[in-house]
Amino acid sequence: MTQEAESVAATVVVIDDDPSIRESLQSLLRSVGHKVRLFESTQHFLLGEATQAADCLVLDVRLPGQSGLEFQRELTKAGLVVPIVFITGHGDIPMSVAAMKAGAVEFLTKPFRDQDLLDAVQRGIALERGRRAALDELAELRQRFATLSPREREVMALVCAGQMNKQIAGALQLSEITVKVHRGKVMRKMQARTLPDLVRIADRLGVAAPKA
Amino acid sequence: MVGPPDEPRLLLSALPPDRAQRRLAVTVALSLVVALVAAAPFAARPTSGTESLLPAYSAAVLVNELITAALLIAMFSVQRSRGLLVLAVAYLFSGLMVVPWGLTFPGVFSATGLLDAGLQSTATLAAARRIGLPLLLLVYAVMKVQGVAAHNPSNPIRGTILATVATTLAVVCAFTLLAVWGNALLPRWMADTRNVSAAWHYVPPLAIALCLVAAAVLLWTRRLSLLDHWLLIVLLSSVIEIVLLAYLSGGSRFSIGWWAGRAYGLAASSVVLLVLLSETVQLYARLARSLLAERRTREARLAILEALSASIAHEVNQPLGSMVTNADAALRWLDKPSPDLEEARLALRRITNDGHRAGKVIESVRTMFKKQRQERVALDLNRLIDHVLKRSMANAELEHVTVQTAYDPNLPSITGQPVQLQQVVANLITNALDAMRPSRDRACRLTVTTGPGGPGSVMVSIEDSGEGLSGDIKQRIFEPFFTTKPEGMGMGLLFCRAIVERHGGRLWVDDGATQGAIFRFTLPADDEATATIKSEEGS
Repeated sequence: MTQEAESVAATVVVIDDDPSIRESLQSLLRSVGHKVRLFESTQHFLLGEATQAADCLVLDVRLPGQSGLEFQRELTKAGLVVPIVFITGHGDIPMSVAAMKAGAVEFLTKPFRDQDLLDAVQRGIALERGRRAALDELAELRQRFATLSPREREVMALVCAGQMNKQIAGALQLSEITVKVHRGKVMRKMQARTLPDLVRIADRLGVAAPKA
Repeated sequence: MVGPPDEPRLLLSALPPDRAQRRLAVTVALSLVVALVAAAPFAARPTSGTESLLPAYSAAVLVNELITAALLIAMFSVQRSRGLLVLAVAYLFSGLMVVPWGLTFPGVFSATGLLDAGLQSTATLAAARRIGLPLLLLVYAVMKVQGVAAHNPSNPIRGTILATVATTLAVVCAFTLLAVWGNALLPRWMADTRNVSAAWHYVPPLAIALCLVAAAVLLWTRRLSLLDHWLLIVLLSSVIEIVLLAYLSGGSRFSIGWWAGRAYGLAASSVVLLVLLSETVQLYARLARSLLAERRTREARLAILEALSASIAHEVNQPLGSMVTNADAALRWLDKPSPDLEEARLALRRITNDGHRAGKVIESVRTMFKKQRQERVALDLNRLIDHVLKRSMANAELEHVTVQTAYDPNLPSITGQPVQLQQVVANLITNALDAMRPSRDRACRLTVTTGPGGPGSVMVSIEDSGEGLSGDIKQRIFEPFFTTKPEGMGMGLLFCRAIVERHGGRLWVDDGATQGAIFRFTLPADDEATATIKSEEGS
């Protein structure tokens, strides 16, 4: 039951051409508290706004028109990263290997155990949430970085490149005191508590020292 | 009724020659005669020092005729035609007789010949050989006319071959001993080591007469096989050989005509060998082709079956998957702290729908097969089985299997789908042949019997003389995907049983009386069968 509490408000998208399978999956997923959106084909899914809201896709491999595996490739190419759980009537090994290599969360053969599907969906949701959290954090860091003055950015880059205050003062032709002041402001504005903290942030933002 | 329903037209001894082969035989015959005419003027001229060629000549004839005999014996062991055995004996006898003939020949190994030979020894052996070969060929021709070709299947083939070879060897030894030790008793064939006397003059006409009679009998059969055509060439060649040796050479050894005669003898000993070898190679190629074709059809059939079963599996799996998920969902709705009965009810209703859907898939598969049921016709099972057997005969022959049939002439007709029932019989025969493959050394026998099978039904039994079935295999042999064959799918017997049962019959397996297994199936005899179909269609 803890699982249900965790997964509140997660949206699972089910794409299967068989209405009966769709409805059964909807019922199962709703019974553990997921929100479920049903689509009969990938085209219908892409037309709607659900592409943004989906935390996890449950996808039949054998679909009319575009197959599940092709759809997976297309999504990856378009940069739309959504965790996918594949279900299939008759999965062969090469097919499942291809799907897993392309980043599928799980590959289940019908009829599957409900717990297997729910676990896979849960893993997909966790992946998606982790990815979103990381994206949010990055956006936040970018905002903080935007508040730095040009001089502060230069100081930050050199600090993170491992230079001492004295060296930085020499490189920027500033007094050592001034460097110390800039450095304090950088730490405060970037909300970094320690030097390693700041280095990690710089690394994520891709801030590099200008060539001396 | 014993023996194959029809002689398979696959082996050399039964194969009718095509036009090119016939033309080749005629060409060879004509060139033999032309060579004779060309050699005739010089025939009487004597040569000197050519004695040393005789061992080489003897060795060539010996090797040729022994190989020919071996090939003919091999053919006999496959085809079990006694005529072939007689031919093999002819070549074996002729080949072996060359050995003492060459050894005792005066002036070759020693002035009077080895083995303490007397003046008459060599000529005696030559006379025996000269008369023996056409005599045996005549026996072969007569057997062909009388049609007593088939070997009695109760005699073990290996024993027959060994006994025949041993007897031939004994006869050759007896002749040799007679020729060497009984010099005093022998007719005075030779005047000296080079020239014949009056007594010899009876031998060549007798030999020529035997050759001509054998040829005439062969021609009289009208159904000449390819082998028979070349035997005619052998006989012609023998006649020319004798004419050269006895008449044109003036009865003088080591003359040009005498050597020319020897050349014809060598030709006579090689003709059948060459034909056997070339035909064997061709036959092998043909066999390989037909095997490939068979494998291709088999693969195509498997592919269709696979596609069909995959599509049925998918159609059934879909509702099945849905049912399981719905049931799981319903359980989860019910297991909640406050059970959601409405959700559970909806899930259960979907399960009902899925169940009906799966049922419809099965129903549609059944109706697909039901359509064929309407094509049932009245059938004579004996004829149907005979038809299938004929198609399987070539295989059986090549597998060294004797086929016995015991058809009940009073068998009532049955009503059924001919193609399906043919498939059942063909499948059971193939299984029987496969079962006997490991025990090929023994006499393998396939027995097909028809007869009454209890009140209002007929029974067909297909018995093999293979290893039989162990208890475990017997238990499982009708299970789907159970197979003892490396390439088997494990569907054959399952289909057979399904077809037989759809015809209102039964299919089961019994142990053979002494060895092997008996597959039996029953089918309702005619009146009852029509009644069953009607009642089924009504329901």
